[in-house]
Amino acid sequence: MKIRHLLYAVAVLGSGACDYNITNPNSPEPIGNNPSRSIVAAAASGILIAQRSDLADWVIDAGIIGREAYRFDGSDPRFVTEFLVGPLDAGSAAFGGDHWFEHYRTIRSTNNMLNVIGTATALSAAEQNATRGFAETIQALAFLGVLNAHTQDSIPLAVNQPVSSAPAPYVSNDSAYAFVSGLLDLAQTHLTAGGAAFPFTLPVGFAGFDTPANFIKFNRALKARVEVYRASRGCGNPCYTAALTALGASFIDTTGPGTLNAGAYIDFGTGPGDIPNFLAQDPQTSDNLVHPMLEDSAETQTGGGLDARFLAKTVSRPSRTVSGLTSDRSFRNYPAPGSSIALIRNEELILLRAEANNAVGTGAAVAADVNYVRVNSGGLAANAGLAAQTAPQRLDAILHERLYSLLYEGGHRWIDMRRTGKLAGIPLDRVGDVRHSTLPIPTDECLARATGPGQC
Amino acid sequence: MAVDRLMMGGIVGKRIDMWLLALCLLMAGTASAGAQQRTISGRVGNAVSNEPVAGATVGVVGTVISAVTDARGQFSLSAPDGAVTLAVRAIGYKRRTVTVAADQATVAVDLDHDIFNLEAVVVTGQATSVEQKNAANSISSVTAEELGRAPTPTIESALQGKVPGALIQMNSGAPGGGGQISLRGVSTINAAVDPLIIVDGLVISNAAIANGMNAVSAAAAGGNASNQDNAVNRIADLNPADIERVEVLKGASAAAIYGSAASNGVVIITTRRGQAGAPTFHMTQRFGQYRVSHLLGSRVFTDSVDANSAIGSGGSAYCNGPGGACPVFDTEAALWGRHDLSTETQLSVSGGTDNTSYYLSGLLHNDAGIAENTGYQKQSLRANIGQRLGQRFNLSVNMNVVHSLAQRGISNNDNSGTSPYLVLPFTYSFANLNPTGPTIGDYPNNPFERSNPLQTFAFLKNDEDVWRAFGTGTLRFDAITTAHQNLQVILTGGLDQFNQRNDILSPPELEFEGQDGQPGTVVLGKASNLNLTLAGHAVHTYVPASGGFQATTAAGFQYGDRDLNVTNITGRTILSGQRNIDQATSISIAEDLQPVRDLGLYVQEEVLALDRRLLVTGGFRADRSSRNGDPGQYFFYPKAAVSYRLTSIGGNDGDEIKLRAAWGQTGNLPTFGAKFTPDTTGTINGRFGTFVGQRSGDATIKPERQTEIELGADVILLNGRANATFTFFNKTISDLLLLQTLPPSSGQVDRIFNGGKLRNRGFEASLGYALVQSPEMSWIVRGTFFSYRPVIVDLPVPTFQTLGFGTALGAFQIEQGKSATQIVGNEGVVGDATPDFQMSFSTDADYKRWSIGMLWDWKKGGDVINLTELLFDFGQNSKDWNTAGQQRLADFLSGLTQPFIQDASYLKLRELNVSYHLPQSATSAMFGQRVRDARITLSGRNLIRITSFRGIDPEVSNFGNQAIGRNIDVAPFPPSRSFFFSIDLDF
Repeated sequence: MKIRHLLYAVAVLGSGACDYNITNPNSPEPIGNNPSRSIVAAAASGILIAQRSDLADWVIDAGIIGREAYRFDGSDPRFVTEFLVGPLDAGSAAFGGDHWFEHYRTIRSTNNMLNVIGTATALSAAEQNATRGFAETIQALAFLGVLNAHTQDSIPLAVNQPVSSAPAPYVSNDSAYAFVSGLLDLAQTHLTAGGAAFPFTLPVGFAGFDTPANFIKFNRALKARVEVYRASRGCGNPCYTAALTALGASFIDTTGPGTLNAGAYIDFGTGPGDIPNFLAQDPQTSDNLVHPMLEDSAETQTGGGLDARFLAKTVSRPSRTVSGLTSDRSFRNYPAPGSSIALIRNEELILLRAEANNAVGTGAAVAADVNYVRVNSGGLAANAGLAAQTAPQRLDAILHERLYSLLYEGGHRWIDMRRTGKLAGIPLDRVGDVRHSTLPIPTDECLARATGPGQC
Repeated sequence: MAVDRLMMGGIVGKRIDMWLLALCLLMAGTASAGAQQRTISGRVGNAVSNEPVAGATVGVVGTVISAVTDARGQFSLSAPDGAVTLAVRAIGYKRRTVTVAADQATVAVDLDHDIFNLEAVVVTGQATSVEQKNAANSISSVTAEELGRAPTPTIESALQGKVPGALIQMNSGAPGGGGQISLRGVSTINAAVDPLIIVDGLVISNAAIANGMNAVSAAAAGGNASNQDNAVNRIADLNPADIERVEVLKGASAAAIYGSAASNGVVIITTRRGQAGAPTFHMTQRFGQYRVSHLLGSRVFTDSVDANSAIGSGGSAYCNGPGGACPVFDTEAALWGRHDLSTETQLSVSGGTDNTSYYLSGLLHNDAGIAENTGYQKQSLRANIGQRLGQRFNLSVNMNVVHSLAQRGISNNDNSGTSPYLVLPFTYSFANLNPTGPTIGDYPNNPFERSNPLQTFAFLKNDEDVWRAFGTGTLRFDAITTAHQNLQVILTGGLDQFNQRNDILSPPELEFEGQDGQPGTVVLGKASNLNLTLAGHAVHTYVPASGGFQATTAAGFQYGDRDLNVTNITGRTILSGQRNIDQATSISIAEDLQPVRDLGLYVQEEVLALDRRLLVTGGFRADRSSRNGDPGQYFFYPKAAVSYRLTSIGGNDGDEIKLRAAWGQTGNLPTFGAKFTPDTTGTINGRFGTFVGQRSGDATIKPERQTEIELGADVILLNGRANATFTFFNKTISDLLLLQTLPPSSGQVDRIFNGGKLRNRGFEASLGYALVQSPEMSWIVRGTFFSYRPVIVDLPVPTFQTLGFGTALGAFQIEQGKSATQIVGNEGVVGDATPDFQMSFSTDADYKRWSIGMLWDWKKGGDVINLTELLFDFGQNSKDWNTAGQQRLADFLSGLTQPFIQDASYLKLRELNVSYHLPQSATSAMFGQRVRDARITLSGRNLIRITSFRGIDPEVSNFGNQAIGRNIDVAPFPPSRSFFFSIDLDF
């Protein structure tokens, strides 16, 4: 009977005509055992993309808190309330609760890579080591990002575990800094055993650091920064000495003004899948404005005109007033959506050396480096009396140069004033404004530990 | 091939599949003919007018023999020898039984009007139904007549206030729909929130596909599209005029037989059919307009000193009148000030012969939006054809093609200074943004923000163009027809296919476009969706010779194959005048594929006994789906229900009380991809990279399970002139698809898993009373009431927040022992989105040629996070800045969240209509003899709104349809009220 055939066909169709096993058609799963070369390469690029995700955001947020910048964003008043008046909202991942998750995502990405790289039969042992050194260096940079924004003794370190596990325990800030320092050394060891080349190509922002041997120079530069931070936080001379040692193996260079910008950069772009640098705004209408303190305290060049660093990075614009704050200058150091942001560059290394020498070296060595930067970067006259000043006076001079040399490059002002105990030197604009010393631990981090907001 | 795959389904799956197959074959093979001795013919008419009643079902009581009347109201059937009782029923009429003597061959039956549709049949399963007065669940039924009183372009707004237990709210006022149908309140936290929607047996897609405006608004920084794009959920595509009836299964006890897709209830839509008879034409022509229903207003500045209080300095440049007086410009009113002509033309023809029926309809709809470059157009063609093939086969084919174009401007949250209600908070009354000419350069820049909304709306294009085709074919086969049993086999196959195209063009000359260094944005979104449904049902009805009971056994399967495919391309930096995506300098592409396959099997038994007073039902459904961690595993959803009618209350024949109890389970499938842990991907300097994604999936994920008990009583009094229903429900949802917010130090945002329990108890009631019922006049009033309380009774993970913009701005916090919809701020709990109750009240009166009706919709309580007002306060620009705004902002800055968590109670006049049937003489004079009836109607929608909510509208949702975090107001598109003048002609 026809009807039977029809029913049979329909019943069979209905029960089994299609495969119910559907794999993820949209995106890859995390890197697994025995990854191929191309999967390792994608994971390596991915680690840098993850590291990039907090970079521009940190420049503006820490810039506001450190009074380098204002952000007059009509869509969100919190840039001039929460960051300048408080209280910081630990519950908002875009404000008080920011600059935490993105770093830990980078850390998880690096751990995922480190957990399986030993199983990659497509890579030689040297290539595996080179990959380890790369991932560990970026992981250290990510942990440093967490520490830059958070001064509480509530830093989770042992996060290389399944997400369903109990949250990693908190450790003190000092322990975390020590861990970062050690991680950079471990990375150096792996890079040293890393052979002649990485098994992947680094983006152009790492030009000059794209072999394991050259990448060590970047690794040592970060090490120097970490040691100087540790030194000013209480470690003192041993860390300054370690910083000088690290700088010796870094790419520090005082052979001419052309090398001041040498360094490692993170690329932005407008190509498919890439993200633009959102700090690139038309300076005449930009939301991101320059704090007026910078113009007030800028020195004048011998030939007239303000500090060349200030003039290069900022430009005058129609005045804007929001909520009692006024500025008539915008930043222009990121002119295009493809403008890269420095991770660390030579000019900072020179000032790190000055700072270390200020503790364990000579006044003349400090003056030499400070004046090199003043003359070659600021177009300013050398400070002739610097060598003879007291160490605290020289530190103030170094911090002044750091303000203009590293302006709007990653919250350096806030970090510097805080680690040197000079937070009170950050200017306040309005009655009721405050100086934040740290961002809070995100609410979700506290909730996961079954304590309430503010209790962690 | 097919059989090979069948074997892969797992042991359990195979066994059930084969069992079903065997059952189908067994039933199909046992067809035989019964003994039928004599013919009874007759006519069914309206008791008042004596007009014929077409489509009435005439059945022989105690048997399964029945016939349907033709256009002249006539029927003919073969009946057993001896005296028989005929039961006659028709939609809109009360059931009536008549006795036909052994020697009587013809009969005339008059039917009384059934005011409250108490005797209409309602669904009890996928292929079975029962009279409303027997139903064991509170199943709401809305008729075409109730849907069509005040015109609306989309079906969800036509249902507002008409279904007790349904809270239906529009997400914004943007033309083209977009609304949430929430049945019996919260049923989930993170899983799907929309009810299953079935049109003529076909599961249709109600997907909401983001238009990609995020590329301009940057609401969710980065990414191509976002859930803040004010998307339209695609139920909007249906043409309300084609709908004959909407039935709503509200909870698990009624919807269990729809299995793991029915946790949010089921909306069953039946479209119109033709009936035997000469062609009847119906034409409706409407003219009307939309007007913005409410404006926020803003602070009016008096002089330059006043101006400087907000802008710091420079006020005298704007306020240079006498004494420094400020000019006043109302940009908000200018922006939303359009009220162009909107029109709608509907034409339908239906009719048929004994073997063929047809219903054909066409729609041309054109709404003008309240702002420039906004509006909604819809065209629809439908053909529903029924054909009898010999004695035992009946084929019906329904086809519908719809095209719509929605132009929705830009609204909701942004981070780019583009959404009007984020720009207006900083656009002061003394700023003149009016253009000096027609070109894009004639619009002044906004001195205080990044865009001029008048310029934005005049030149920003946001077109959503949708082509959609629905088609179902249903074959009914009467395998067995005897006096005491019949077996019908029903096969339905259908497809629902749509292509959605989104074109967004933000020209480079717009004020805000240069700010990211990439002037000009163009977005091309293309989405296609295919839903294939294949279902088979066998329904066996048995009435023993004694006639003591009627047993209905139903079994069947439902196979679904759904394939959603969304591609979104964003281009930046385009040349002036260009619109093609390949002219952009920088392009980013996103593609999302969501293939889903699932299969459900069910059996159900219903017994109607004790002179149709007792109904006992039991059944279960088994479901598998590719969305579950184990796609081969079947999940079982049982149900059981009983109802009993206490008839002839107080000695009155028509008065009765029905007591009912129902229990059942349904599921809510994991969201697509819940079983995967995808990496995030991107490029850096041209190199592809993968890194840790946001979400950690669960390879063992399974559906949520809802268990519902529904208890109720339905009362019919005054011989059907008054009725009331009362229902209490208690539903618990276990194995919740929880999205645990992870400690951010884990490097991932959240983790999906099954766990926890949500309980939701509520009460709903409806009342109807025909105050006057006479040939000259009728006056009916109706009311509904609904209230529920959702509580998180078990949460195996720490308290977490969902949606919202952080604690300071109010966040929805999921916490054990607390309301599922509590809103938490800096100071603790600051509100709750669950309303205290919802009520509606409607009245319909007919007097001679006049009809007047209205529908009021009242929601009491339920808080909304009003961030639009926060922004106005922050700009020192709120209308009440000097009296209250200043204080609100000071409170907020001191750390309070409370000022912006506001009671969103409302009372709305949803519908108002007055119509007049022209006298026959006038009709003939105007339209000719062929026109049987002509009616003119004046109608309005949302004409009156009473609320203490200070935002634009208490219904709006920044994030679209959401289970928990719906009530967030950030710069919505303002709702409008509409007025229409209609002419209806029947000929």
